Amino acid sequence: MIAGLLSLILPGLGQAWAGRRYRGAVVFGAVLLAALVTYWYGVPAWRLAPAAIWLWNVWDAASLARGQERSAFVPVAAMLVMAYGIGWQVTQIDLASLTRNSGRAESILGPMLHPDFAVRREKTNTAWAPVEVPCGPHPPAATNTKDGATVTVAPDCGRLRDTLAVKATGLWPNTPTLVQWATPIGNRLALGAGFAAPLTVASGPDGTLEARIQIPPNALAAAPDPDLPLEHRVYLTQARAEPGFRLSENGRYVVEGIGQTLFLALMATTFGAIGAMLIAFPAARNLMSANWLTRSVYFVTRMVLNIVRSIEALIIAIVFVVIVGLGPFAGVIAITLHTIASLGKLYSEAIEGIDQGPLEAVRAAGGNWLQMVRYAVLPQIVPAFASFTLFRWDINVRTSTIIGFVGGGGIGFFLYQWIIKGDFRAVGSSFVAIALIVIVLDFVSARLRTRLV
Amino acid sequence: MLSVEHLTKTYPNGTTALKDVSFTVQDGEFLVVIGLSGSGKSTLLRCINRLIEPTHGRVLLDGVDVTAARGRELRHLRRHIGMVFQHFNLVRRSSVLTNVLSGRLGYSGTLKSLLGLWTREDRERARHALDRMGLANKAARRADSLSGGQQQRVGIARTLMQEPRIILADEPVASLDPVLSHSILRYLEQLNKEGITVLCSLHFLDLVHRYATRVIALKDGVKVFEGLPGEIDRAKFQEIYGEEAQEVRATSVPTAATGTPISVPVQPPASPA
Ligand SMILES: Nc1ncnc2c1ncn2[C@@H]1O[C@H](COP(=O)(O)OP(=O)(O)OP(=O)(O)O)[C@@H](O)[C@H]1O
Ligand SMILES: [Mg+2]
Repeated sequence: MIAGLLSLILPGLGQAWAGRRYRGAVVFGAVLLAALVTYWYGVPAWRLAPAAIWLWNVWDAASLARGQERSAFVPVAAMLVMAYGIGWQVTQIDLASLTRNSGRAESILGPMLHPDFAVRREKTNTAWAPVEVPCGPHPPAATNTKDGATVTVAPDCGRLRDTLAVKATGLWPNTPTLVQWATPIGNRLALGAGFAAPLTVASGPDGTLEARIQIPPNALAAAPDPDLPLEHRVYLTQARAEPGFRLSENGRYVVEGIGQTLFLALMATTFGAIGAMLIAFPAARNLMSANWLTRSVYFVTRMVLNIVRSIEALIIAIVFVVIVGLGPFAGVIAITLHTIASLGKLYSEAIEGIDQGPLEAVRAAGGNWLQMVRYAVLPQIVPAFASFTLFRWDINVRTSTIIGFVGGGGIGFFLYQWIIKGDFRAVGSSFVAIALIVIVLDFVSARLRTRLV
Repeated sequence: MLSVEHLTKTYPNGTTALKDVSFTVQDGEFLVVIGLSGSGKSTLLRCINRLIEPTHGRVLLDGVDVTAARGRELRHLRRHIGMVFQHFNLVRRSSVLTNVLSGRLGYSGTLKSLLGLWTREDRERARHALDRMGLANKAARRADSLSGGQQQRVGIARTLMQEPRIILADEPVASLDPVLSHSILRYLEQLNKEGITVLCSLHFLDLVHRYATRVIALKDGVKVFEGLPGEIDRAKFQEIYGEEAQEVRATSVPTAATGTPISVPVQPPASPA
């Protein structure tokens, strides 16, 4: 009775009074946690959970005082219901949204299923003629011959919006030809409807072409002095499909990004493995148990390793992007640090797991610490080290595919920009490339590892 | 001459494994240490070369205080004290030759040995040691591809690299079957005859009678007997091994035809409830 009353006032107090302090503390902690969580998320219905535990606790305390222990089913169930209920709400699970936005999904998945990696090979043929804008006192002849193709523009010069006649000979016959205006600094301007659409004219069967164009109104937009006569150009460009494919522009970026990712992982794994090897020996309990000094070295290195290991490489990268700037170097540093910490722990555990006998034998023969490591420790740990390192390399490749999202270089850097730009064909091709290298490396490293053990 | 004076070892967890143990070993002796499991035999042998740090007492090797030596001085003293282990303590993945060479580490320069650069002389010595142990053709094999008896012979060859004046053997035959036990002990006996003092712990009394020139017995870390093997009669036996010790005739073990009673593997007494 008293126990029940005590627990009614303060959960757990009754249990403690009945001699079960630990149970009391757990009950108190559970009620407190449930109350805080429901208060924070503020949905009144969930307050039933702490209330249920509170009631159970009174009953439990009363029973305990009579020497009877109640099963903890009620409070555990109340906690679980509360955790999953609030969890559902907090993570905003909304299954309907999966189908509601099918249009959006299509606009993303459609292009992603047509990865922009390669395009058909094609051959281009260009020819051009100079035109002076505005007219100077002695404009040069507006004609030019290159690779057997001659382009002539009449008149030789003009002002904005003047109409010009373009004639060309020696082009590829019967081929659509793009006609463009090029300003002195190389800007290509469209000459089609409203100066917004491209102007395309087909060449004749004898390789000649005739077109009438207007000098674009913005041809002098970048000119330092609109009265100064300068050479502009009229460009004719023909394209013809060739057999086979070549990398598209984005395809090149994908290859470059993947290459950067692989090298990033290679450098980080190598530096990380070297660092881990140096730190693994002071972090191995069996090598460091000689006296209190070495033992404290052991504890400190272990602690540092545990702390660094608990920070994701992605977060370390954010810091180093600020320090060393955007790019793969920041990624290398971040992944190296993380690798040192996680390999250091695995290595040191491998060292702790070795057969102590040979160590004893080297010491008994008068060998020193370094000789002991070289002759008794190293031969025992090399296979395990190699296997852990390969495994880590595998993980590091995965990490370095996304480290670019925070500016750490590699394919992730391009991927992030394509997602922002909405270029989902390029996103699709980087997904394919990432999946491919991860699968291949997974296979290779697993194969190598089975050979080692 | 090796003298052990008032040796006491208390482990950090409070176990006192040796209590005030004193004895001397003359050059050329084959001294056997007997005692029940847990009586402190391994602790005693490891205190002599300081693989275990004794709590009190001194160990003198030819008048030099081993217990006072530090660092390099201790490592140089250890070169004269070979050790043979119950579980051989070979690096299983390394070659037999490398294992044997590692017995020479106390003599070779650190840098050279780290790089694995052994002198021609050391390699010669290793081959010779293997030859003496009848393992000349096994040098290139991986240590764990050898049988137990062969591995223990590699262990002895490794010890020979130290050119030891004394060999500590901690139950060198406890992991081997009885027939192999004799083969190993005969190798030790041979070395002993060539002038190396041997200090060996053994479990089987018949082996003690066959090989020991003198015996000391430990019980709960205290030396309870010191004398000739022949002096261990039934009363002494029960004193050393306890009232409940059972004797089992080990008929499979060949014994020396010296008339000494065939003796026994000892079953430890049942632990008190
Ligand atoms: N590292 C240690 N820490 C604490 N106690 C130990 C340690 N090593 C041995 N002991 C204890 O010291 C006592 C003597 O052990 P020791 O290994 O020397 O006996 P032993 O005679 O060699 O036994 P065995 O025949 O089983 O090898 C035992 O009670 C053992 O439990
Ligand atoms: Mg022992």
